[in-house]
Amino acid sequence: MTADLIVRDLHVAVEEKVILKGVNLELKKGEIHALMGPNGSGKSTLANVLMGNPFYQVIKGEVLFKGEDLLSMSPDERARKGLFIAFQYPVSIPGVSFASFLRTAVSARRGYEKELMPISEFQKLVREKLGLLQLDPSILTRYVNDGFSGGEKKRAEILQLAMLEPEVAILDETDSGLDIDGVKVVAEGIQALYERSQGNLGILLITHYSRILKYIRPHTVHVMFDGRLVVSGGPDLAEELDARGYDWIREQYAVVTAEIQETGAVRRAGKVFWVQH
Amino acid sequence: MVGDSRTQLVAAQLTRETLLALSKQLREPEWLQKRRLEAFDLYQQLPMPGPHLEEWRRTDLSGLALDSLTPYGQGMILEDELRRLIAFLKSLTGAPEGDRKEEWAGLLVQGSSGVLLQDQSEALKAQGVLFMDLRSAIREVPDLLQEYLMVRCIRPDEDKFRALHAAFLAGGTFLYVPRGVEIALPLISSVWIEGEGVAIFPHTLVVAESQSKVTLIEDHRSSGGEAQAFSAGAVELILGDGAHVRYISLGNWALNTWEVSTIRGILGRDATLHTLVASFGGNVVKVNVESILQGQGATSEMLGVFFGTGRQHFDFHTLQEHQSPHTTSDLLYKGALADRAYSVFAGLIRAHYGAQKTNAFQSNRNLILSDGARADSMPKLEIMANDLRCTHGASVSRIDEEYIFYLMSRGLTRIQAVHMIVDGFFSEVLDRLPLEGLREGLREEITKKMQGRGT
Ligand SMILES: Nc1ncnc2c1ncn2[C@@H]1O[C@H](COP(=O)(O)OP(=O)(O)O)[C@@H](O)[C@H]1O
Ligand SMILES: [Mg+2]
Repeated sequence: MTADLIVRDLHVAVEEKVILKGVNLELKKGEIHALMGPNGSGKSTLANVLMGNPFYQVIKGEVLFKGEDLLSMSPDERARKGLFIAFQYPVSIPGVSFASFLRTAVSARRGYEKELMPISEFQKLVREKLGLLQLDPSILTRYVNDGFSGGEKKRAEILQLAMLEPEVAILDETDSGLDIDGVKVVAEGIQALYERSQGNLGILLITHYSRILKYIRPHTVHVMFDGRLVVSGGPDLAEELDARGYDWIREQYAVVTAEIQETGAVRRAGKVFWVQH
Repeated sequence: MVGDSRTQLVAAQLTRETLLALSKQLREPEWLQKRRLEAFDLYQQLPMPGPHLEEWRRTDLSGLALDSLTPYGQGMILEDELRRLIAFLKSLTGAPEGDRKEEWAGLLVQGSSGVLLQDQSEALKAQGVLFMDLRSAIREVPDLLQEYLMVRCIRPDEDKFRALHAAFLAGGTFLYVPRGVEIALPLISSVWIEGEGVAIFPHTLVVAESQSKVTLIEDHRSSGGEAQAFSAGAVELILGDGAHVRYISLGNWALNTWEVSTIRGILGRDATLHTLVASFGGNVVKVNVESILQGQGATSEMLGVFFGTGRQHFDFHTLQEHQSPHTTSDLLYKGALADRAYSVFAGLIRAHYGAQKTNAFQSNRNLILSDGARADSMPKLEIMANDLRCTHGASVSRIDEEYIFYLMSRGLTRIQAVHMIVDGFFSEVLDRLPLEGLREGLREEITKKMQGRGT
């Protein structure tokens, strides 16, 4: 079976500045990939560009989602087809009721055209998912992310994941800004959703720390550095990063970069490799 | 057809002769006729306001053909339309079908300037509450009218339009609430301009005696057409000590209709006045909304929502006048502008010498939905007291693309996202209204305005 999300040689710029410099990634439903890397390496940029954030410009490369050209779709088409992102910094939208937003979103995902999904069905669904994430139902009467605490914001993102039942979910640092208990609730929620999906959910778990990986075991771990995925490995790579930090990657990366500039070929230094396209 | 033919002055214009004929026809008391003629003289003497005045720099009335308008027109309405109107008014109270007695304390419907329908609960009458059209009030309680009508609050000599209004005033609402009487359910009054080339002069006079409590919703609409229609209205709200008044003005005019109106409240000690001005209809609409906080401890909340489309022009001049200590005013006007619509907000906070411990808040937020739309916002302060809290803020902005992206990333189309954000923009005002039916009615107007709009 081909992968559900295929990213090939993706180059992305923000306001003229090139941030992603050739990202390659394949993810199948049922798989969990962790994406790690130092701050500013481009992880959020990748997440946003996959969701179609108009702020980012794709300058090269292609992305296939379930075999279709993702980059030609509007963000809402992507969402309705089953792609989801839990944002690192969700915006708050004053005045927009969280409940009515959620009901409209779920209706869109479930293919309701003119009307919304019946209110009773919606309420039943949302009540169940609120419980899973230990969220107070009063959150529904509030405005979208408005005045939410850091933890509430992250849990509200996962609530949306639970409601929308995507096929591929990108979780951008859902664990950061949370205390240990908060990480546990969110991580267990995600793990439960993953298990319930019975192989129908693929996750790209962007994280800065390995602590969340204690609850959610990834099949593959990637490291992003300077806009590229420079190392991939099994779960033990996360532990290695935890123990050793990113400096060794930085050093190996410098070696590769220097060689590439000379020869323009495939290079590897230690675990760091780079394929010039 | 239902209606009142007594004010039909076929092909008449805004002249002294018309005025005299009208006053005679209605057998008005002498004092009123005299006031009308004096006001008419003032109208003729006062200059037409124009761009030489700061207040009129942005609102151009040169396109209004005052001289070709007929006062009042015909107070006729098709029964079907009347039924639809009543259904709408009923929806404002959140009343289920066929259950109206429970949901409003009184209802008054006037076409142009004749009464089409009047309904008031017996219980209110027994408590001494007066709720009627202006002409009936002149007949039934002339002394009260003589005491209050354009004497204490809005005066004819303030400018040309107030003089014109004072000369021709007819139709509108008179509401008197005796001391200590609290009316839980809203009173609803609707003014309808039927026909084209018509000018109306609805006058609303609310006298709320001390410790009384009342809500009045006024709906304004017109049948539309090619030729212009015009409304020069005045609303006087007089609140005794501790009185509590909520006044809501709905501007649902057809697109041929121009309006120049003043809404002014005078508040006694510890009185509370809530106003809401909601403007969706009309061609050029200029409304001055003023709260005069005369008594110590008086409080006024001033809310506004407007949504301009096409080439609509809205102008709000607001005044928060603090004359006494411990007074509070809180103003929030929010508007959306699309196509080539244009809005002007000029809000003045004035705190008199000695108005210490005053709280004055003012905020005007405008959302621009199209390149051709425009909003000007001009807060102004005249502060003579030195111990007060005062904040003001104005903004003119477009919808944040980040909001749109967030909602679209959850599967909402761009149009759905924009609708939801615009709705949310107005929620800050609507959520402050304790009347559910009214909130829903306003949301529906906003939805109508958004129809087919996706940018
Ligand atoms: N909205 C933005 N405006 C300007 N620069 C940005 C923006 N988003 C990302 N960048 C830049 O892109 C680079 C990668 O950022 P980001 O993708 O947020 O990294 P990460 O998520 O790995 O920390 C950084 O240098 C950052 O400054
Ligand atoms: Mg990031």
